[in-house]
Amino acid sequence: MTSNTYVGSSPNRVGGYDRVTGAQQYVADIHLADELHAKLVTINESKARIISIDTTKAEQVPGVRLVMTPDDLPKPMPRFGPQYQDRPVLAADTVNYYGEPIAAVAADTKEAAEEGAAAVVVEYEVLPNVHTIDAALAPDAPLVQDPSLRVGETFANTNIKTEINFGWGDIADVEADADFVIEREYEFPMVTHFAIEPHAFIAQPDGDELNVWSTIQHPFQLQKTLARLLNIPLSKLRVFAPDPGGGFGGKQHPKLEPLVSYMALKTGRPVRLIMSLEETFQAVRRPSTRVRVRMGLTSDGMMVFKDIETNYLIGAYVDIADRVASKSSYVAAGPYKVPVVKIVGRTILSNTAPTTAFRGFGVPQITWARESTLDEAALELGIDRFEIRRRNVPEKGYEFVPGDTPADGEWIQTIDKAAELIGWDTPLPEGHGRGVALGLKSGPTTGLSYSTVRLLADGSAILFSGTSDMGQGARTVFAQIVAQEMGIPLESVNVIMGDTATVPYDQQTSASRSTVLMGTSVYRACKDVHGKVKAMAAKVHGVDESGIEVDGGVVRMAGEDLPIMDVVTAGLGPLGGEVIGNGEMRKDKVPGHPLAGSAAFFEFNCTAIEATVDDETGEIQIIKHVTVGDVGTALNPQQVHGQDDGAAIMGLGHSLMEGYILDEEGRTRNLGAIDYRIPTSKDLPIELISASIENHDGPGPYGVKGVSEGSLLCTAPAVGAAVRDATGLIIRDLPLTPQRVWEAMREQES
Amino acid sequence: MKEFSYERPESLDEALQVLAASGSETEILAGGTDLVIAMRDRYRQPKVVVDLKRIAELYPTLRWDGDTLTVSAAATMTEIANDPGINKHFPALVEAAVVVGSVQIRNRATLLGNICNGSPAADTAPPLLAYEAVIVVAGPGGQRRVPINDFIVGPGKTDLQEGELAIALELTTPTRMLGGAYERMTRRKGTDLASVTLCATVDDAGVTQVAFGSVGPRAFLRTDDTGVLADPAAPKEAKAAVFEEIFADASPSVRSMRASPDYRQAMLRVLGARAVGRAIERLQELQGVS
Amino acid sequence: MSELIEIEATINGRDRSLEIAPNHTLLDVLRDQLGLTGTKECCVVGECGACTVVVDGIPMNSCLMLAVEIDGRDVTSVEGLATDGHLDALQQAFLDVSAPQCGFCIPGQLMSAHALLQSNPDPTIDDVHEALGGNLCRCAGYLQITEAVLVAAKAGKE
Repeated sequence: MTSNTYVGSSPNRVGGYDRVTGAQQYVADIHLADELHAKLVTINESKARIISIDTTKAEQVPGVRLVMTPDDLPKPMPRFGPQYQDRPVLAADTVNYYGEPIAAVAADTKEAAEEGAAAVVVEYEVLPNVHTIDAALAPDAPLVQDPSLRVGETFANTNIKTEINFGWGDIADVEADADFVIEREYEFPMVTHFAIEPHAFIAQPDGDELNVWSTIQHPFQLQKTLARLLNIPLSKLRVFAPDPGGGFGGKQHPKLEPLVSYMALKTGRPVRLIMSLEETFQAVRRPSTRVRVRMGLTSDGMMVFKDIETNYLIGAYVDIADRVASKSSYVAAGPYKVPVVKIVGRTILSNTAPTTAFRGFGVPQITWARESTLDEAALELGIDRFEIRRRNVPEKGYEFVPGDTPADGEWIQTIDKAAELIGWDTPLPEGHGRGVALGLKSGPTTGLSYSTVRLLADGSAILFSGTSDMGQGARTVFAQIVAQEMGIPLESVNVIMGDTATVPYDQQTSASRSTVLMGTSVYRACKDVHGKVKAMAAKVHGVDESGIEVDGGVVRMAGEDLPIMDVVTAGLGPLGGEVIGNGEMRKDKVPGHPLAGSAAFFEFNCTAIEATVDDETGEIQIIKHVTVGDVGTALNPQQVHGQDDGAAIMGLGHSLMEGYILDEEGRTRNLGAIDYRIPTSKDLPIELISASIENHDGPGPYGVKGVSEGSLLCTAPAVGAAVRDATGLIIRDLPLTPQRVWEAMREQES
Repeated sequence: MKEFSYERPESLDEALQVLAASGSETEILAGGTDLVIAMRDRYRQPKVVVDLKRIAELYPTLRWDGDTLTVSAAATMTEIANDPGINKHFPALVEAAVVVGSVQIRNRATLLGNICNGSPAADTAPPLLAYEAVIVVAGPGGQRRVPINDFIVGPGKTDLQEGELAIALELTTPTRMLGGAYERMTRRKGTDLASVTLCATVDDAGVTQVAFGSVGPRAFLRTDDTGVLADPAAPKEAKAAVFEEIFADASPSVRSMRASPDYRQAMLRVLGARAVGRAIERLQELQGVS
Repeated sequence: MSELIEIEATINGRDRSLEIAPNHTLLDVLRDQLGLTGTKECCVVGECGACTVVVDGIPMNSCLMLAVEIDGRDVTSVEGLATDGHLDALQQAFLDVSAPQCGFCIPGQLMSAHALLQSNPDPTIDDVHEALGGNLCRCAGYLQITEAVLVAAKAGKE
């Protein structure tokens, strides 16, 4: 019998102490002896040909030690990127987006670096740019990427990067079965992560080694990228990844670490680049989309077919956009039983900030379009909007994408819970509207996580795990697993992350994977310890191993229960020592699978919202916001709530107030915090309720599934549906600012 | 930001001497919530920064003399919002002061700084116009008093001449009974810059003043002495017609990121009606007839 | 061109004599000159509150203050809340309610909350929302932060 149970409890956050005392060291807080401060040089254009870079004046600024230009880098210009190596370390010949670095200055002080950067003179020729889907797809549109860099690609002479096709069946076969067909197009804006910590990078040469600090979410991927670019063996390239101050996907992939590394190697001194919030907005965003949905249903609201076209505007370099597009498009038809589905997904280059991963990974954009279209259909068919979803949602085990991971939860329970919490069947006050949406996102399709547990002689333990804890609470849940399996207090578990030299390999922190993948690895490392403890018990007590069981912190043999440390202490003997366990969780690529593998689990969410609309000003007030997810097991309920609440509010951001405003040349006008609006504590729903359905049916330890993206998937369509319910307005673009709602009201009147 | 000399005069005379000596490349530091941003962005690059917060004559920051309140250049938005006298006699000013930024901003931003910065969207400009504030300006030749409607000139521009310092603002409690209310339009409920600012006052002689901003180069003050707006029973069409005249000079910028001209024009009318309605309610409370 | 200015200030209970460059903000000086990196830099335009410190009991954005302005004043940053390693009631409440997620906004939230409770020991939920309205959080959605402040207020009353 396990004596303590950490599963399903909410112990205080590991790492919380440092967060409330200010002791937590984020990248920008780290200072190295002899460091140089870096500042980027950019021009005020979206697309330009660089004619010359004059560094003379800059070099004369006292304190400036280096003005790095493409001349200081290997030729041809080194490039990198997680899917295509298309991103240059510095702009090569052309600037392709507003904010792309052309040069960089390193100086003894921040002020000198600023002065130096301002003194660099760039001569350039402005070139035509494209910054909308229509402009990028127009015939004879200026190309964002040179075809010579896209040899062998089908669409190399266009701004389409990739086109993918998914689906099953033939719509022609079933079209006649649909009593009702609806076709709509919905748009989703450019939004950015706005983590409160801007991106930051430090590189330090150390003999023949290089140390790099970064706000990166994937330290091992960064290590790989830098090692290849700089031709340094992995063993000599150390990436430190302190807990990021918020990531949300924006910090997953390398951005300026290569540049900073080259600068450090050139000067022989540590170089630190702390980006401003404005520069961060120029560097990362979510793909904006136009999604066309055509769906056929019977008069009973049963889905017959879906024909979906997703267009993603991805910026000047691909980063991870093709993956965003393919992974989200793959499940564009949603968590429903649909006999025939046709999906076409397209990534489109543009002279705008490059996109990257962002919580939801393309699914919020598609869900906005699909759920809103389904709502319009329900209204026309006269079917209750919860009911139409209940009728089509698959039961657990159903292959809603034929041949792939089946529905992995009793999703109807999530739906019913949301309906209950929002009071769907209760009378609706005058002037109020309600809406509901369902969302589904695939968890990781491949993965590789190693971990090591060291059970020390005094019964404390150290866990080495390469996951990045950027607020989701990974440290805590892993410590819970170790505490649970070793039968030791949580406070005695030390979790070491963020150092590629001491922590074993972890592929990445994304797709809500870590509790499942790394969690399994940690669990297995604990089991490895258990195996060794079993051997110790056998030796010490002269019992055959087959008669010994280790369960949590207890060794069970011959009808006796012994605390694990009793066995370990006896087993270690007078020399002392420790017991080391290793765990590996591998989810291999599946050749031929369009996503390289099936989803390990799904995040399934139902969001329901009640709102009012001021019919004079267009202001929306969220009265009640309900979000329910199918989580398997809430290993740490408080942290699950924290993630769900946070994701829900982030969803209100893009639903009500967020969006880049571009000028006629595609330059973002609202960089920074004054004119890019995110929710404050005064923008909350009057009531926000997050709930979890726990059937302990997830693939991770103790039946967990991944959480943290679910509550973001459905916010926009649920808000849109509530607005529609209250006012009759149908608005197919976001954000639903007071002005946009007011304009729709004026249109409705006329 | 670039280097500069920092001066911290301890008397008004000293301050004026510093200003006389340093000429045009001088900036005044009160709360810093506009200036520090401008200096960091290199939009303003003064050679001398004069911190006025130690000038002895500016304290106490709020001073009543009979029915006149003197608000010194060191008075912050928080102090304005918390003062019982201002809450009683100038409630619309409090309504504006409490929405200038967050608590942190209001603890630093000064009322006079808000006016001298000269943003057409300054929240406190409409109530100060409606309450007929007077700016006290100190200069080499002595002090002069400038009605606020003359003091505000255009975007970033006031009536201050080189070598002068705005040291206070005077508000006199109205001799007639007056109800006032402030309204604004923002993109979110949380802290935000306003796309429309508006203050209405209604007095017991039936005169309505409407001051509004963020829809042109400066905040405007208009008066309705027909009595139509002040009359709760007047038909909506009659009121709408008066509002059309009042807002005739509104010229919202087409370049603005915050709101379109059409939306701003519409919100002027919506907020105008709301502010007048609340001002009438406040007047009625004073009259004991609510 | 400009000289360093000598000032005296009390920082987290310690009297300090400092030489300050006029063009350095209080945020610059805290982080770069004094090594007090608990106060964070994010928007530097006074919108996000990550740089909030308390000066003479009043919460302010240190990014918009010239450091020289603290001459003769009393400054508290997040490092000054705990006493000899013992968390104060507010910090403990933040931990117990799991308010910090990534933690980057937390020092600013704590300082705004600290100032609130000093002047209003029994705040309503709206009081808390208003007092912390200038502290942006992107992780948490504010619910747990608000709860933590109310829990600390309650603890202070008992």
